[in-house]
Formats: sequence, structure tokens, C-alpha cells
Amino acid sequence: MGIDVHQHIWTAGFVDSLRGRAKPPFLDGWTLYLDGEAPYEVNPRDHDLDHRLAFNREHDLDLALVSLSSPLGIEHLPPEDAWPLIDAYHQGALELPASFRAWASTCVAEIDPSPTAKALDSGFAGLQLPATALRDAAGYARVAPLLDLLEDRDLPLFVHPGPAAACDDAPGWWPAVVPYVQQMHAAWYAFRAFGRPRHPRLRVCFALLAGLAPLHVERFIARGGSSRGTVDPDAFLETSSYGHQAIDAITRVVGIEVVVLGSDAPYASPPRTLLGEAADHTIAVTNPARLLDTKGAVPR
Amino acid sequence: MSWESLPERFLDKRELRALVEDLADRPDLWSHHIAFGETGEARHYASLHRDSFVDIWVICWRPEDDTGWHDHDVSSGAVRVIAGTLLESNPRIGGAHVETLVSEGESLAFGPEHIHRINGQAEHSVSIHAYSPPLWRLGQYSISEDGVMRRASVSYADELRQVDAEALV
Repeated sequence: MGIDVHQHIWTAGFVDSLRGRAKPPFLDGWTLYLDGEAPYEVNPRDHDLDHRLAFNREHDLDLALVSLSSPLGIEHLPPEDAWPLIDAYHQGALELPASFRAWASTCVAEIDPSPTAKALDSGFAGLQLPATALRDAAGYARVAPLLDLLEDRDLPLFVHPGPAAACDDAPGWWPAVVPYVQQMHAAWYAFRAFGRPRHPRLRVCFALLAGLAPLHVERFIARGGSSRGTVDPDAFLETSSYGHQAIDAITRVVGIEVVVLGSDAPYASPPRTLLGEAADHTIAVTNPARLLDTKGAVPR
Repeated sequence: MSWESLPERFLDKRELRALVEDLADRPDLWSHHIAFGETGEARHYASLHRDSFVDIWVICWRPEDDTGWHDHDVSSGAVRVIAGTLLESNPRIGGAHVETLVSEGESLAFGPEHIHRINGQAEHSVSIHAYSPPLWRLGQYSISEDGVMRRASVSYADELRQVDAEALV
């Protein structure tokens, strides 16, 4: 009976859209070409709907939220390149079965709230932005019109890693363990410093436990950070690719009320938290319901 | 006093008791959280505040609500009864458990060595709880029919539900 707030699935229309491009990001068959990275062989089964439905049943997931694969860098492309891909993603996502919902995406190279307003009003659960657009005060100031749309509609923001800088000879795990974590760390503290003051009502969810940024709260307090490290009850943390140790550490710092289940399927699976049935229920059901404001959410 | 004026360090049980006593006189901070579920629902609780040094809860109890035996790992705690009466019990191996009624206006405070269990005693009981360091992991105990006590390490989310019937012995 769980909710997974973080999955990716490339629908046929989105794959066609990537195949129709001649410059990165593009697909040649199932080989993905990105700027500055070696070609990557995509496993078609990772994006097969029946396979994903079986995966979700196996993990007791009633609802999965899918999102655009922000590390492809689509949101940072010029609008004329970004929107055909985003539109293809949006269309495919809305046509998925009822056990899926989706985060909308948008172009961050030029901020235009109107297509995002239209997308949000067509049934998306909220908006995903790449952490690479949210690293600092300037980043949050640029996207403020988009975050205003979310606040007006009482919809949440999902912050996901964006494209990683190229790194020669790096092993395959490097982007997920170094650049993505650093991006999320910056986005978390930038939200605390610049995002939350301007958007007091926004519910926001940070992927991959915000790169464990909240564990630095003692340093934050020691170096003059304000308000005793008070937990922001509307800043959620999603678990993807972490397990018992990191989730346990995070709950020690921020409590369990802001931790939500995210698998990042097809790249990882839901965690075994070893925190007990009550904690698992809180992470997989109670907290996602509050993040997404679905019926039955527990008020704080 | 509220949490903003607390020192930036962990609090001991005397300080936590003073905190919950003060919060009892600030219904503006907690009265909107008071709610009692229909029959069959779990007892109602709400997080009032959590920071790096303390977390504060309001809990609404029905007579059938029972935490089971538990400790609070490294946390100290304090409980102030706002309405009604709670029953606190402490396990006594081989004898009758210690039982203490805590009524409206009264409080209890404890260190991390404390093992207890709390029941709602009166209808519509309400209490304010504060813990420092903030709750993280708990020891949850069961005592079998032949008196053997066992401990399970659980997250604090488990304090808010009953475990199996064995734990209620």
C-alpha cells in the first residue's frame, strides 16, 4: 500500500523524441549519447511498462510518481530544444496507467511560467526541477515564478539531480556518488537560506535524502546558522539509493515525519530500512500522502 | 518560555519538566492539535516542534491506548498532563509492577535509564511530551507469561502503536 515518489520510465513517445535528435542528448537505438560522457547502453526492459508494473506489485507499491531523467540535461537546453522533449515526456506520463502519477518538468534555460501552469493544471502531482538550477540565491530567484505557481496550487516541488559535469576516466558510479550528492547538498542549504524565506508555504521534496545535507546541521549551528536547526516540516527527504544506515542517521537529525519512500527505479529498488513496521508505514504511506496532499494525509 | 529561548544544548529531565510545565500554559501552541479519533483508530498525536536539541509532542489518549514497555535510548523526557489522567507503569521483575497515576496539572520526568509504559486512564486525556536529545531509537520490551523480558530496538515511530499482546503482560 505504499507510494514511491521517485521513478523514471521512458515512454515510447519520449524515446522517439530522443531518437529524433542529432545532438546530445539523443538515442541511437538504445544507445544514449550525452555531452561529455561515454555512450551508455540503455536496457529496454528498464522502461517496459509491464515489467515496471510487476516491479511495483512486487514491492507493494500502489502508486508510483515518475519524473523526467534530469541528468540528461533536457531542462537546461534552449527552449526550442527542451520543449519538444518535455512535451513528449508530459504526454507519455499522463497516459500511464492509474497506478502512476507524474512530476511535471519545465525548461530552466528561459523561465516561462505559462506552459508550466498549463501542465500543472492538466493533472501532474507537482513540478520537478533539477538541483543544478537551485544551487544558490540566484537560482531560487530565477525559478521563483515557477515556485509561486506551486504555492498558488498547493502542489509540491521535487528537486532531482541535474546533469553531472564530465569527469574523465570516472567509473560508472561517480555521477551518482559525487556530483549528484554535491548538487543536492547545495540545493538543500540554498532552499533553507533563500527558497524557504520567499516561499513559506511550499512543500518540497529533495531526492536522495538531499545528499545527506541535513546531517551537517551541527556544523550549520556551529557556524552561525539560525534557529537551533529547527526541522522544516514541509521539506521532505526521499530515500533513493540509500538504505538502513543513511535513513537511520537522517531520522536521528530530522525525525521520521519528513522522510518519504523513493526508489529511483529502474536504477535502484525501495530500501530495507530495518526501522520497523511503524517507520516503514510512515515513510511509505503517511508522509508521501502529506507531501502530495492526497486524501487521508495526517495534518501537522 | 517556548523552544526559541532554550539553550543550544541537550536538556536534562529537570529542564524538560520545566519546559512542558511552561508549555502547558501556552494553549495557543497546542490546542488546535487536540483531536480524538473514532473508535478503532489509533490515538492521535502531533509534532509541535523538533530541532537539533529537543522534540515536543502533544498526544490525545483513549483508555484503551497503551504504549507497551519501552525505553528512550539516550533521550531524557518529560510528560505534562493537560487533561484527564494517564497511568505510568514501571516493570518490576518478579513482583507487581509500579503504577503511578498522573492527573491533569501533574507531570513526570525521566532520564534515559527509565523503562515505562503509559496508558490512557481517563477518557479524553491529553499530554505534552518533550524529549532531549530528540527521539530516535527506542527499546521496546515484551514480558512473556513466564516472566522473561525481551528487548527489540525500534524507531520512535513504534512508540506510537501497540506491539503484540505479549508486551502488555
